Amino acid sequence: MPASRELSVRGTPIHLMQDGTGPALLFLHGAGGAGRWLPFQERLAGDFSVYFPSHPGHGGSPAAEWIEHISDLAFHYLDLLDELGLARVHLVGASFGGWIAAEIATMASHRLASLVLIDPVGIRVDGWIYPFLFGMDIPEIVGTVFHNPMAALALAPPDQSIDTLALQYRQGAALARVAWNPYLYDPLLRRRLARIASPTLLCWGAHDRLAPLAPCGEAWAKAIPGARLQVFDDAGHVPHLEEADAVADAVAEFCRLQGAKR
Amino acid sequence: MKFYYFHLMPYIMDHDEPSSWVTLSNRHYDPAVGHTLYNQYLDQFEYAEKLGWDGLCVNEHHQNCYGTMPSPNVMAAMLVRRTTRAKIAILGNGLPLRENPLRVAEEIAMLDVASGGRIISGFVRGISAEYFSTGVNPTHSRERFYEAAELILRAWTEEGPFPFDGRFYRFHYVNPWPRPLQKPHPPVWCPSQGSSETVEWAAKRRFPYLMVFTPIKRIAQIYGEYREACERNGYRASRYQLTVNVPVVVAESDAKARELAEKHVMWVFNTGLRMHPPFWRPPGYITEASLRRLLANPPVLPSDLTFEQADREGYLIYGSPATVRDKLRVFADELQAGILCTAMNGGTHERTLELMQLFAEEVMPHFREDAKVDETAGVGR
Repeated sequence: MPASRELSVRGTPIHLMQDGTGPALLFLHGAGGAGRWLPFQERLAGDFSVYFPSHPGHGGSPAAEWIEHISDLAFHYLDLLDELGLARVHLVGASFGGWIAAEIATMASHRLASLVLIDPVGIRVDGWIYPFLFGMDIPEIVGTVFHNPMAALALAPPDQSIDTLALQYRQGAALARVAWNPYLYDPLLRRRLARIASPTLLCWGAHDRLAPLAPCGEAWAKAIPGARLQVFDDAGHVPHLEEADAVADAVAEFCRLQGAKR
Repeated sequence: MKFYYFHLMPYIMDHDEPSSWVTLSNRHYDPAVGHTLYNQYLDQFEYAEKLGWDGLCVNEHHQNCYGTMPSPNVMAAMLVRRTTRAKIAILGNGLPLRENPLRVAEEIAMLDVASGGRIISGFVRGISAEYFSTGVNPTHSRERFYEAAELILRAWTEEGPFPFDGRFYRFHYVNPWPRPLQKPHPPVWCPSQGSSETVEWAAKRRFPYLMVFTPIKRIAQIYGEYREACERNGYRASRYQLTVNVPVVVAESDAKARELAEKHVMWVFNTGLRMHPPFWRPPGYITEASLRRLLANPPVLPSDLTFEQADREGYLIYGSPATVRDKLRVFADELQAGILCTAMNGGTHERTLELMQLFAEEVMPHFREDAKVDETAGVGR
């Protein structure tokens, strides 16, 4: 079981989970993934000291009114690294968390031992418009995000209480504040990806219907200098849930390799 | 009591789609049918003035068959030149949905000047689904609303040019020509669903509060909250600050009226307001506190509303003239509502005109103790 704690990052209170020993690894979750310590994180904690914060407004972290733009979240996580006294980390982000991670990498590659993006959103891709999850009901969302719908059970809410529904609403609002329009991307990010100097692994579900391998994964691979693209055949948008062991092993191997190089 | 004829200008149709909003394909819209409908609906407005209605209400809605008035100011402009006496209430412009609120300030001023000061200007946020059809971020809705309202009110009342530097709207030169004719500005109304934040905001500014399609028990509760908010702000609410929008069906007999209401009023709730559930609740459109209040006492979805429940809870008024008079007494005497906005639909244009006439002749005259009162004096500004 990971240790759980509350801390203040430059005045913004957040909830953070942490477990494992070894080089520091910061994991940034996607929408709906806050506070879900699953087999993926468990496996990584075997090799790394895994830090898993909830974004403000998600999970156990209260909403932060000052967050208006995706770059606010990127700065927030650079502040978290300072708060934790971590000079460099392996940075792993999934989906929305991958977007934040990419923004961080364009700002401060020198703080990253390596960068792993799992089916990130965040850039405008020619020929693709992200399906509008805000306009979908739960079955439609599951059908868009998951190749294996059974994997969605890991993210299912514990109940339908007012507190649970209010939390889901708060999470949706926190996401919408930075991602409603433009939807799921920052128009400036794609051009800036060329600034990323950290070794980068892109993990992609072959059946991602939100941000498909072609054209999205291919666009990312082209935009980040030297990025390696690894495809997971039995996964949709969330391979770290759908093929947790395989993705965790790929991430661990990549990060170990980059660590050894330095 | 004052009577305002209200229209949604619906494109009445039956369909099996999950939503009448946002995603119902506009291939269902036949412009030739729309031409006939627009002209019949405008005829109804003009007839309402002839019959003695005090006001005519238009409103803004986007991408649906429920109401085909994406620009209420366009419809108001047509009425300005075809009527001479009735107030024209625009209920309202969806302020946060506009990229430039100065366009609202300008258009309302144009209408006010052209109509000789007959305009009532509703300020609304736009309903939930409209954040899907316009792309405006629903988490900005409330703040954009307050900021746009402030800008428009200043544009109407302060001599220009002046600069405005808001979070969402920024101008170096605010200086609209024309200025409105009514002083200090056209009355402002707040049609709303009863969020405590809006009640407080409206009460503070003496802006009349309009409850739309709401069960009678909730109207009473919100009116109470509004009156209390007025007291807190140091004055007593005029009855003309308490307005209500209820569909009315009046016919020769209770049975005939019921038949028409079951079909035509229930279309508005069951089909017109049928919405894919996510469209009811865009993220951040309401505060978490409002959401919790809503979840603690969830209202029935309009698409699930039965006629029996609508009847029991006072979502509508129907009956013979005598029955309608009795039901209306509850609004006039118990709720102390000063203005009744009502749409009427008899199924055909001709039948609708008959209902309107019956209401004007057999119901309205019984509620005219205030015939000489100007309902816009001292309120809305």
